[in-house]
Amino acid sequence: MDKVDKNKLNAFIQFAKDLLGDMYVLHRYEDLVAYECDAYVIHKGAPSAVVFPADTEQTAQLVRYLHEHEIPFLPRGAGTGLSGGAIPLHGEVIISLTRMNKLLHVDYLNRRAVVQPGYINLKLTHSIAAKGYYYAPDPSSQASCTIGGNVGENAGGAHCLKYGVTTNHVLGLKLVTCEGDVVEIGGVPDTPGYDLLGLLTGSEGTLGIVTEITVRILKTPQAVKTALALFDDVEDASRAVSDIIARGIVPAALEMMDKTAIEGVENGNYPVGYPRDIEAVLIVEVDGIEAGLQEQIDQVIEVCRQHRVREVVQAKNDAERAAWWANRKTAFGAMGTISPDYLVQDGVIPRTKLPEVLLKIRKISERYRLRIANVFHAGDGNLHPLILFDARVPGETERAVKAGSEVLKVCVEVGGSITGEHGVGIEKMEDMRVLFTEEEIAAQTDIRDVFNPRGLCNPGKMFPQPARCVEVKKPASMEIS
Amino acid sequence: MNKRSFIYEDAPDENKFSACVHCGMCLEACPTYQETGMEMHSPRGRVYLIKSAAEGKLELNSFFRHPIDTCLDCRACETACPSNVQVGALIEETRGQFFQADPPRGLSAFLHRLFLHKLFPYPKRMRMLGSLLKFYQKSGLQTLARKLNLVKVLPDHLAEMERALPELKRPPVLASGIEVLPAIGEKRASVAVVTGCVMDVVYSDVNEATVNVLRKNGCEVWIPQNQTCCGALHVHAGDREMAKKLAKANIDAFLARDVDAIIINAAGCGSAMKEYGELLKNDKEYAHQAKQFAEKVKDVSQFLLELGLIAPKASLNMTVTYHDACHLAHAQGIRSEPRTLLQSIPGLNLIELPDADRCCGSAGIYNLTHPEMAGRLLERKMDDIPHGCDAVAMGNPGCMMQFAVGVVRHGRKEEILHTVQLLDRAYREEERLQGGEQRG
Repeated sequence: MDKVDKNKLNAFIQFAKDLLGDMYVLHRYEDLVAYECDAYVIHKGAPSAVVFPADTEQTAQLVRYLHEHEIPFLPRGAGTGLSGGAIPLHGEVIISLTRMNKLLHVDYLNRRAVVQPGYINLKLTHSIAAKGYYYAPDPSSQASCTIGGNVGENAGGAHCLKYGVTTNHVLGLKLVTCEGDVVEIGGVPDTPGYDLLGLLTGSEGTLGIVTEITVRILKTPQAVKTALALFDDVEDASRAVSDIIARGIVPAALEMMDKTAIEGVENGNYPVGYPRDIEAVLIVEVDGIEAGLQEQIDQVIEVCRQHRVREVVQAKNDAERAAWWANRKTAFGAMGTISPDYLVQDGVIPRTKLPEVLLKIRKISERYRLRIANVFHAGDGNLHPLILFDARVPGETERAVKAGSEVLKVCVEVGGSITGEHGVGIEKMEDMRVLFTEEEIAAQTDIRDVFNPRGLCNPGKMFPQPARCVEVKKPASMEIS
Repeated sequence: MNKRSFIYEDAPDENKFSACVHCGMCLEACPTYQETGMEMHSPRGRVYLIKSAAEGKLELNSFFRHPIDTCLDCRACETACPSNVQVGALIEETRGQFFQADPPRGLSAFLHRLFLHKLFPYPKRMRMLGSLLKFYQKSGLQTLARKLNLVKVLPDHLAEMERALPELKRPPVLASGIEVLPAIGEKRASVAVVTGCVMDVVYSDVNEATVNVLRKNGCEVWIPQNQTCCGALHVHAGDREMAKKLAKANIDAFLARDVDAIIINAAGCGSAMKEYGELLKNDKEYAHQAKQFAEKVKDVSQFLLELGLIAPKASLNMTVTYHDACHLAHAQGIRSEPRTLLQSIPGLNLIELPDADRCCGSAGIYNLTHPEMAGRLLERKMDDIPHGCDAVAMGNPGCMMQFAVGVVRHGRKEEILHTVQLLDRAYREEERLQGGEQRG
């Protein structure tokens, strides 16, 4: 795809300035450079412009214009995505939703909240905590990432083991379609007809731009207990994970980090003080009503002991628990202390295959001569191998990408998938072929083309390119209002 | 294409920006990102621009300069950063490149030279300025000027500062000429005190309180007469050459005598002085001494707790909230110490300020150079002050000035005080009561 035509672009910039005001339209080279990538840094591309609408109506007007003039565009939240979904590889216009950052309404009786897409994930919990409520999906970037972005990527998080990922918490959406119409979807539980909410959540900005989100809020659990277990052997830790689940315990979170990951977080800004010679650390959290909870965590501790744990302790208070979580949740960023770049994978595997897969990852690491740190939501088998590399060294980036693909192949081979919560984006487009046949991919791009008939909304993401026939086969455009 | 844009001395250090993996955990910690939602006004965005310039993708022009200049240098991002990226140092080094590539011109050059070269480094001139201000306040000139609306010629923020300026009651501490003040009671430590430039003129009562509180805690206090401005504002503005000169003068002045600690009561100056090692790392002659000096620098609250505070016995029945100065909380990691000091005062009810460590917008002279953004941040700060507070305590003169403006602008009643002023008040109350007992 070619970059956007200059005259066309200038006309759009003028249109956007008239609509939004000069300060909400960025088009100078220097201002656009910062938008070359999100938290996935392997591919880069500067946008033609960045526009900041204030509300649904402005978003719709922008999209209508872009659609009419056939200028490609993409939505962007905080830009903390890990698969490159918000990277304008072809000079797309970025519609940044950071100004639409308000909590519109909280309905405690019906346990739901309505937010704008640029509203920060953690702010929702902060805003409703005093009344005893919280928003469950907690991606590690929750202090910065937006709920709109979470919907786009169907984001998960440490506590999704028990509570489910974003899609389990979205009740309704207001959507600006790729042609600039405004539609409302869902809103009442179990809407008859197709599950469009389910389709839109995780569509990575390829089916339209969400401008309002109704989410489920939950009662804050009465009690929380957290255990920390240090292991001398990764396999022991992995078996402990399987055993905890096998006992019928449903932890709120069950997290694991290996030795290299521990090295990163301990060099970082939020060290816990883990001994440097341990091979794995497990964080196990249970929550719910106070009665019986201590017994549950005691059981967890018991299982760890049966698997030759070196040391296992229970958090003494909220401050200690918070310190463990701050350390875990900054794990990706802390890799900067041991490597200038990293590529994070997001494979999913059956829990029981953990020891086998870890061994294979170690082999891949050796073969490609790149260190791999493993951070994962062990409870639901969602691996995050962080492939460490230095983009300044010629060839290392390519090696890292190849190693990443091999890791994903291993995941699929043992019956898993290539992504759990980070989305496909640019990063895993080609790997989709490992999971799907050409026909299966074509079936999905057919669906995309119904929503995105001109292919202008976040083009070239999620699905591998060729399938020419699919791109040609355009359904009739819907009426533009 | 691959020509690097940073060609001057002290270029932003590659090791510092390569540690940024672009994760975005810093975004919401940044006051300017919170206000604008724009990537280039975020820490991650600024670091990315700096990296791009180092790779030759950006020139040192005004469009690149703008986001570097809008940074408050508040270091909130450094608290949030998982990888300890030194964003503040990177911004300062980049400003150093701009300062050399495109030195200030016209009015800004005049003001830069006047304040940062001709006034702040010279305590005597600062004293003169103080006397003039005092004369202005006392002689009726201030009243007259206000009546005639003469202050209208000043830019808005300066005019408000004129109104918010505290009454200069006390002469500068440095001007007393007294070099050593003995400990009160048993001597537990010997310390040197940094009196600062603006602090000693505008807030000399804070310096007095600092000296008194230290003496009350068994410190012999030395006030080196050759000390000068710390150079923090110079580093922020990119004038590293002048900053280095000042740093060297202070190193000479303070290392002349062996003391247990060098005490500072201004957060901005404290963090700059703790970073002398970094500033002079390439200086053959001073690199070692700079590190030695930096290790001795302690914020007054930090030092009192390390020493073991002798808690005041008299009570102050006040409700107080505490604002974290950026350069205490984020740059020096000092958060609990001032709160512990305040809580040690009997009767004092300390309540938390929401988002206490978000910048108030003062940020050195940012409130003068970027009044619009500074004003937005001040507005939010004033809204956050809980109802029913008698005073807001903090540990930095710049913040005190900014809060004073806020109090005037919003017609509020809270007293704006330095943490040590409240401690000092409690000690004086204790003395008064003891004196009363002895007499009675």
